[in-house]
Order: sequence, then C-alpha cells, then structure tokens
Amino acid sequence: MKVSLSWLKDFVDIDVTVEKLADKLVSAGFEVEEIIDASANMKNVVLGKIAKLEKHPDADKLQICQIDVGAKDLVQIVTGAQNVAEGDLVPVALDNSLLPTGQVIKSGKLRGVPSNGMLCSGEELKLTEEEYAGAGVHGILIMNKEKYPLGTDMNVVLGNDDVVLDIGITANRSDCNSVLGIAREVATVLKKPLKMPEIYFETDQSIKVGDFVDVDVQDKTLCPRYMAGVVKDIKIESSPEIIQKRLKSVGLRSINNIVDVTNYVLIEIGQPMHAFDRNYLEGNKIIPRRAKNGEKIVALNEKEYELDDTMLVICDAKKPCAVAGVMGGLNSGINEKTNTIVFESAKFLRDNIRRTSRKLNLRSDSSYRYERGIDFDSQRLGIMRALTLIYKYGWGKIADGIIDRLAQDLKQNVVVTSVEEINGILGITVPSEIVLEILNSLQIESSIDKDGRLTCVCPAFRDDIENANDLAEEVIRLYGYDKVTSTLLKDGNQTLGGKNQQEQNIDIIKDICVSRGMSETLTYSFTTPKCFDILKLKEDDYRRNCVKLLKPLGEDLSIMRTTLAYSMISTLASNFLKSNKKAKLFEIANVYLPNNASVTELPTEVNMLALGRYGEGEDFFTMKGVVEIILKKFGIKAEYKRADITYLHKGRSADICVGNNVVGYLGEVHPEVAKSFDVSERMYIAEINVDMLNKLADYSYTFTAISNYPPIERDIAIVVDEDVMAGDLLACVRKGGGNLLVDTKIFDIYRNEQALGKGKKSVAISLVFRLADRTLTDDEVNAKINRILTKLSSEFSAVQR
Amino acid sequence: MKEKIAKLIEEAKLAIEQSHTLAFINNVKVKYLGKSGELTGLLRGMKDLPQEERPLVGKYVNEARDIITQLTEEKTKELTQAEIDAKMLEEGVDITLDGKGEERGSLHPCTLVTNEVLDIFTSLGFTLGQGPEIEFDKFCFQMLNIPPDHPARDMQDTFYITDDILLRTHTSSMQTRTMINTKPPIRIVCPGKVYRPDDDATHSPMFQQIEGLVVDEKVTLCDLKGLLETFAQRLFDKKTKVRFRPSFFPFTEPSVEVDLTCSVCHGKGCRICKGTGWIEVLGAGVVNPKVLDNCGIDSKKYKGLAFGMGVERVAMIKYGIPDMRILFENDVRFLKEFK
Repeated sequence: MKVSLSWLKDFVDIDVTVEKLADKLVSAGFEVEEIIDASANMKNVVLGKIAKLEKHPDADKLQICQIDVGAKDLVQIVTGAQNVAEGDLVPVALDNSLLPTGQVIKSGKLRGVPSNGMLCSGEELKLTEEEYAGAGVHGILIMNKEKYPLGTDMNVVLGNDDVVLDIGITANRSDCNSVLGIAREVATVLKKPLKMPEIYFETDQSIKVGDFVDVDVQDKTLCPRYMAGVVKDIKIESSPEIIQKRLKSVGLRSINNIVDVTNYVLIEIGQPMHAFDRNYLEGNKIIPRRAKNGEKIVALNEKEYELDDTMLVICDAKKPCAVAGVMGGLNSGINEKTNTIVFESAKFLRDNIRRTSRKLNLRSDSSYRYERGIDFDSQRLGIMRALTLIYKYGWGKIADGIIDRLAQDLKQNVVVTSVEEINGILGITVPSEIVLEILNSLQIESSIDKDGRLTCVCPAFRDDIENANDLAEEVIRLYGYDKVTSTLLKDGNQTLGGKNQQEQNIDIIKDICVSRGMSETLTYSFTTPKCFDILKLKEDDYRRNCVKLLKPLGEDLSIMRTTLAYSMISTLASNFLKSNKKAKLFEIANVYLPNNASVTELPTEVNMLALGRYGEGEDFFTMKGVVEIILKKFGIKAEYKRADITYLHKGRSADICVGNNVVGYLGEVHPEVAKSFDVSERMYIAEINVDMLNKLADYSYTFTAISNYPPIERDIAIVVDEDVMAGDLLACVRKGGGNLLVDTKIFDIYRNEQALGKGKKSVAISLVFRLADRTLTDDEVNAKINRILTKLSSEFSAVQR
Repeated sequence: MKEKIAKLIEEAKLAIEQSHTLAFINNVKVKYLGKSGELTGLLRGMKDLPQEERPLVGKYVNEARDIITQLTEEKTKELTQAEIDAKMLEEGVDITLDGKGEERGSLHPCTLVTNEVLDIFTSLGFTLGQGPEIEFDKFCFQMLNIPPDHPARDMQDTFYITDDILLRTHTSSMQTRTMINTKPPIRIVCPGKVYRPDDDATHSPMFQQIEGLVVDEKVTLCDLKGLLETFAQRLFDKKTKVRFRPSFFPFTEPSVEVDLTCSVCHGKGCRICKGTGWIEVLGAGVVNPKVLDNCGIDSKKYKGLAFGMGVERVAMIKYGIPDMRILFENDVRFLKEFK
C-alpha cells in the first residue's frame, strides 16, 4: 500500500521525520518497504524572476541575468539562452544544486563574468510538455503565472514535494489498505488525535434518488450491503491538481473528475466505488445477482468475459453492467457525454470476489481490496466522501437520498477476557492501565469491571480481533516487543527428546555413504514425464503411474517422481558434462506412488536411497561394496539376483533380495541410456527402499565366543561352466562344510580355453575350518572337503583341478 | 711384555676405530681375538716365559682381551645400527604424498544445517514430527486457520494436485497432524521439503523448512524468545541476540518475525545484513487458539508456541552462499566443500 505523507497529514498531525515515522510503523507491525522521496532528485532549484538582462561584454551569444529569488540580493547568472526576457519566471539552479538529470551546478565564470548558477530548460528538469505547459520548448522553461513566491523550491512548484511510504499490509489488517487506515495507526503510534475525513454536502431537494434508480439485491449472501447515490447534470472535466497529484503519488493515472473521485475514495477510505452512467442503466434498476452460466460481459478493459453462476454481477433490468467488485462493464462506463451517474458503494463477500477474480484472471484495485475484506462501516463513509468531493468542486447536483440495502443487522464485535489472560500469553506483566490505554487508543473501547473482566468492544474495521490472543498482540506491538524477556520454557512440563530408530537410521545410512567417499545431493521432487521413456520403462511399469501437478512451473517439473534413478543419472551426467572426472553421490528422498486411480487419497510416499558413481576404478563391485555394508549395518542378509531393469546393463545389474522382498537394485547404467545423457563413461547406480530396510532391520545381536583352537586352512580349485555363479558355488560350499567351515572366499577365477575347455572357468576357493572347543584333525577336514567336492560335482558338475 | 701388550691394545683400538663395515670389524675381531689371533698367540707363547711372570702376563692378556672385546662389540653394534638405518632410508617414502583409501564424502550443506538444528532441539526435549509432502488442503491450510479463498492464501502460492490435495507449502502441516494425534505436552521439530511456485536467486520451487511446536499448559511469548535465543546462540555463536518484530501468520497470534544479530558483523552492519546488523531468520508466534481447537486440543487449558525457518536460507547465511540455485546444482566440486 502506497500512501503519501501529505495525504496522511489530512488526518493526523505528523511532527516527526519520515524516517522516524517509518521506524514507529515497523515496530507496530507495518513494514515500510520503501520511502520514496521524489524531491530527492532535485535540490536547490528555485523559482526566480529575471530582474535585469544585459549583453555579455565579450560574447555575442551570452547574456548576463540578474535574478530575483526572493532574497535580499539578486543572483547573477550568465545564460546562452535567447528566449528569456526581463520579468520572466524561470527555474533557477543555484550554486551547488542537483538536477534530475544527475547534473550538479556550481558557481563559475563564463568568459570572465561570474555566473552563480544556471537557468533550466524543461528537459533539464525532466519535464514533458504534458506535465507542464511550455516544458517542451527549446530553451529555458518560462514558467506560467505561479502562485508561489519567488525563491520557492521547484519541487513544491512542480508538486514533487510529497514523500510516499510503501507499506506492506499483512492479510489480517485489510482495514489498513487505505490512507485513513494507516492514519489511524499513525495517530496511535504518535499518540495524536485522528481527524476524520471531511463530510459535507447539500442535496438538490428537487431530485430524488428513487426517480433515477432502484436497487434490488437478489443475492444477499454475496452482496450483504449495497448503497447507491445519484448525481445529475455532471460536468465531466479534469480533476483539480491536488487530486491528480495524490493519485499520481500512489501510482494511479488521472482519468476525469468522476473516475478520479472513485479512485480517490478507494485509496483514502479503502472503499471501492463504482460510477455507472445512468443513461445506460436500462429499466432504472440495479440488480446484484448471480450470473447465469455462459452470460457474457465486456469489461472496461474492452475484453469479453464469460461468467458462471458462482459469480456476482451487477445488472440493470436487462443485462450485466459490472462484474461485482472486480470491474465495471464497458457499456455503462463514464464518458464525456455522461450526464447522470449512479455511485455504487457496496460490500461483497470477500471469498467470492477472490474466486471470481482468479477464475476470470481479472484483477483491479477494487478486487484487491474486496479480496482482503471491507468492513460494514466503509460503504457509508465511502459514498458520503464521494458526494462531499462532488459537492466541494461543484461537479453536479446531488439527488436527495441514499439507497442502503443492508442484508443483516450490524452486530458489535465484543471480546471478553482479562488482563491476566493477556499477560499469561505474553509472559510479562503489562499493567492494567497500560493495557486499557493501548486498546482504547486503537478505538477498541475497553474497560475492566470489578471482577477483573476486560470487555473490549471492537470497531467495525477491526473484525480481525476475535480472542485474547488477538488483543495480546495489539497490546505487545504497541507496548514494545523489546519488553519481551527470555525464559526457557520455565513452567513447561518435562519431555524426552531425541530421534527414534527410523530417524537415526537415515543418519546411519548417510554416515556410511559419506565414509565411502560419497557426497549428498539435493534434487527436485518434481521431474519430467519424459523420464519414463528415457529410462525405457515398460508400458505397464507401475512407476509410469505418477502424481501430476495442475499448474507446474514447466513441463520439465510437472510430475512427482516415482523413482530416484532418473534424478541420480541426470546428476551424474551433469557432473560428467562439467568435466568432473569422477563423482560418487547419494541422496535420500521420497518417491510418490499414487494409490490406484483414486484422486481423493494421498499417494504413498516411499523413502528411497539412491547411490551413483562413475570414474576411474568404479565398477559393479565398488557399488556392491557400499550396498553390502549398509545392509550389514541393518543386520540384513541379502541375495543378489540377476535383474531385468530396462535402464541397467543386462549383464551387470542385480536385484537386492531379502526373502521374498526386493529391497532395491544396483547395476551399471544401460549404455544406450547413458548415451541419451551424452555420457560416454560407465555409470553405476543403486536404489534402495529405506522404508523396507527399516522394516527388515534386525538389531538383535548376541555374543559368539571366539575359538582359541588353531584353524586349518585349505584351498580348492574347481572347473565349472562359465554361467555358474560364484554366489551359488559358495552357498553349496557352505552347505557341505557345515559348522566346521567358518570362512570361505573365492580368491581367483581363471579362464583358459586350451587348458580348461571352451565355456569353462576355474574357481579357486579358500576354506577355513575351526572348532570352538577342540583342535580339528586333518581327517575331519579331509572328510568335509570331500563332501564339499561331491556336492559341487553333483550340483554344478564341478571337477577338481 | 707389558709394553708389547699395551702396544697391541693401541694397535687394536686404532683398527677398531678405523673399521667402517661389519666385515672389517669382523676381521679385526679375528685378528686379535680369534683362535689364531694375536692375543691367543701371546697366551700360547706363555709357556716360553719364566714361571713367575706367567700369572702377570696372563692377567695383562686377559685385560687386553676384555678391552678389545668390549670395543669390538661396541663398534659392531654401532655399525649394525648404521647398516639398518641405511637400509631403512633406502626404503624411505615421500611422506608428502597423499594418503591411500577412499577419501571422505560430504553431507549437503542443507543436511548439515538440519542436523545442527535437530541436535539443538532434541537436546531441549523435542522429538521429530512427521507428515506427508503431498498433503490435504485441510492439514496444510484449513486447520491452520486459512480457509479457502482467505486472503492469507496469497502469502503462499501453491502447487495443487487436485482441488483438495496439494504439495505442502510449509512444514506447519506436520504441526496439525501431530496435534491431532498427540496429547500435550508436545515438543516437536519437523524438518521437511516444501513447495511453492517461485524460482529465482532467493527462491526455489522446492525448499526445506524446519518447524517447531510446543504445546503445554503454561508457555508464553517469553518462553518462545528464550527458546529461540538458546537455539540461535548454539547455531551461530554465544553473542547472538534475538529481536522480535510484529508480523502476521494466520496460525499464530501474536505473530513475530525473528531477527538474529548478523553472524558476520555481530550487529555492526555489513553487506550480508544490508547494514542493519540484523538478519531475518525465523517466523514464530503463539499458536492461535483456533488452531489448537481445530486440532482437538483444549485452548482453554493449553497454549502453543510455534516457529519455522527455511533451511536453505540458514545455510546461505551460515556458509555465505549467494544464490540459492547453487544448492540444487549438485556439482560435486561444490558438494565436497562441505564435510
């Protein structure tokens, strides 16, 4: 909300600097976003009169002027301009002055003659012909007859002398979207009386409102109050300077006196006003009603809008003339020929205006205020103020009577509480008399009875106040937040803090990843619908079913991700394309899986861990090493089964299985997928369901005694078919070894077609046998090894080498 | 004879001194102490001496043997040590080369901040609150005193999924869910991702917040200030001060913006705090009793305190990161700046 200082001064005496005022407003809850001082661009430029003009002795084109700037002595200025004459009023830049162009003027000599400033052109003052008649002339700006005395600051002469405050109004203080509203707060913080806007007009008894218009509110819910007044024999002209200046100061363009009056009242009182040209209102009727579905209106912006029955329109007997509270219709707008106008001052339902404005994508200063809420007192004040201005400037005859259609009785907003309750919220003791003083200064009529009850009668414009907390806020914002002391939950109950196991598990996983050289990434939860095709997901892949945003920031951010794979591959790729030679990354984030086709249910959010690595030394097994250590930490034993995942390398990918659950997968990114990201390096990723890890985690642990007896270590080498998997071999070896076998590993795989035959490999396995309670004998171990070899032979046709 | 032995000792001493290798000292040892060495020779020659001289000469010879033995042993020890040293130096490595093994990775700066914040509050008796990122309108707005088409909705533009389901715009939705399901006293902190359709140097369409909520019988605005002061002093430094400025949030009343003294200039005014000495870090307030009632908590008996902060913003302040977008670029060179 922009508000000019001079306008504020209509309602309250401001005797502090604008900076001080801004500080006080900030501490009362009104953020002053900017102080705009238009006069700051021009300093020390005054109105002067050329008293004497003579030729420069040494230059034909120069003239020596003696300027009267209202001071005792004349100021001598040498000018090259030829369009000046004795007696002319001119803008004079004195010694050490600043022009709006940024130019600084200082005393000096021109061809030996001292010159103590400069006469200015319209261009040098950045004035256009529109802004000041004569400003467009080439040469010095010759001022029109001015009411101001010589020596007056040109900022004053040109109307740049106002300072504008741009104030952020919070959503609860819709009453402050007006000069009067801010003035009320200013009066309170400065402890000054508030002067209400002048209301005075006389009506023409010979003409009655009822002769021109009748108002029939058909939807009283959407339109709880509608007031109307009529002005006849209107003179459409431009507004006086003060109105134009004030509208300009808050960023509104002056149109004509009638439109300006509606805008002036809107800014000053906060009540949106509308003026209809009575001649275009058919049937002498104003009917606020719901629009019919498909009904159309061309608004003042000359665009056509199609309406529906959730919207309120202001109609005459036949057609819609305005979208209520949003914008008037082109048909009934004010023009030069307008003779009779109907002023509308209404209250429309806040939520409805907001909805309509959004649906039509049509906003105005009026809808802005209606959306935030207009109180029941403003309609009367608004229309009275508008008529006062009409009367003051003699712009027409005011018909007798004002129509007022009020749908409900006005109730007083009363809150009953106590000073103790207020102080109980604040935690400090604000004395009762100060509580009363503050509340009453806000026009909240407050009193304390003998039982200590604090009764607060709130004015209509403070319909935001509903309970003791609201009153506590009013008290503390004016008493001062600096008086709030610091206590650390001193009367609070004890609670036990900390993270639960699942929350700690996340930290544990992150810890493992970091210790494994991986850096945590943070990527958007939304992604592109193209990701499914890039990942080559099958048509029936459940991950293609995703949550879509209604209005995304762009196609690329339009769905909620169902896998972290795409984000991880993208992140690896972006690092690769930035010439980072290696990257080891991880991220823990949710994926969002819709529950069947229902849109009334929330999707399931599954917490996933994504791992990604590329660079020298990386292969399937460096990734598997990380996966294994995480699972081990959770006490989970997994089986790795060859996976069929469309975006992974067929031969280098695995599902991570725990019992019947697949908790995730790992593998090399499919070369074609990598290529679609322009990555020529092999990338490895894994994705693990963290929620499932949490469920499967086995934290139980019991001590196993370590053996003091010596181990017997043996190695065997067997030849098997190429497609026999190491994991299967080891499982078989363990089964054969029984409880004597405490450790077994594959330590070499050897391929040689000549020595072993085609499609064969030799696998070397180390075996460690040990018992807890005695030393093993060679015979016992040999028996076990034979059993192992027999099993290997029968299961895999393994031959000992 | 005595002179002869003395001379022999001198000779041996010189030879030992001049020995620079173990082989040489061995030769010296053999020469003087060996079976056919000089001293052995002298002993053998004793049979030619008169009987009365023999014990004395024997004594001299034994003394000489002791001396020479000691000296050769010392020398041998010295040379052996030198030889080991030389060998080790030969095997020496360039100790300025890098260590081996996987270097440590890094946590995202936002996680570092989140971890710190959660550590502080969990130590103050807070547990973590939960709630989905895709949320019903009622939990995100309506129960927080933001009815449909209320002007306060303008404060937070929203990504909708349906008319009724949206991406949560703030972590306050976790407050609502916790209050519905938990009996007071409640002390929770809720970290999480939130979403708003903004995208520029200081806004990201996805960002993270941490929300705090206390519901108890006797808590006040002063407790809120104390709580946030303790927090700020632990997150930044002990001298950090807290300032409340009046503000508005539909779910708290009174509502405040919370400024902290600038962590860079400590309140003197600098570029980071735009010369004010203060940085706006949190929004907070006393929970609006309407919100407590909406969530089934008796507002006559209980009061609430709530606060919230943007994790990215705190990370930007703490680490001096100028543009929020850097946090989402995931360039490994940036990520590895954090440990």
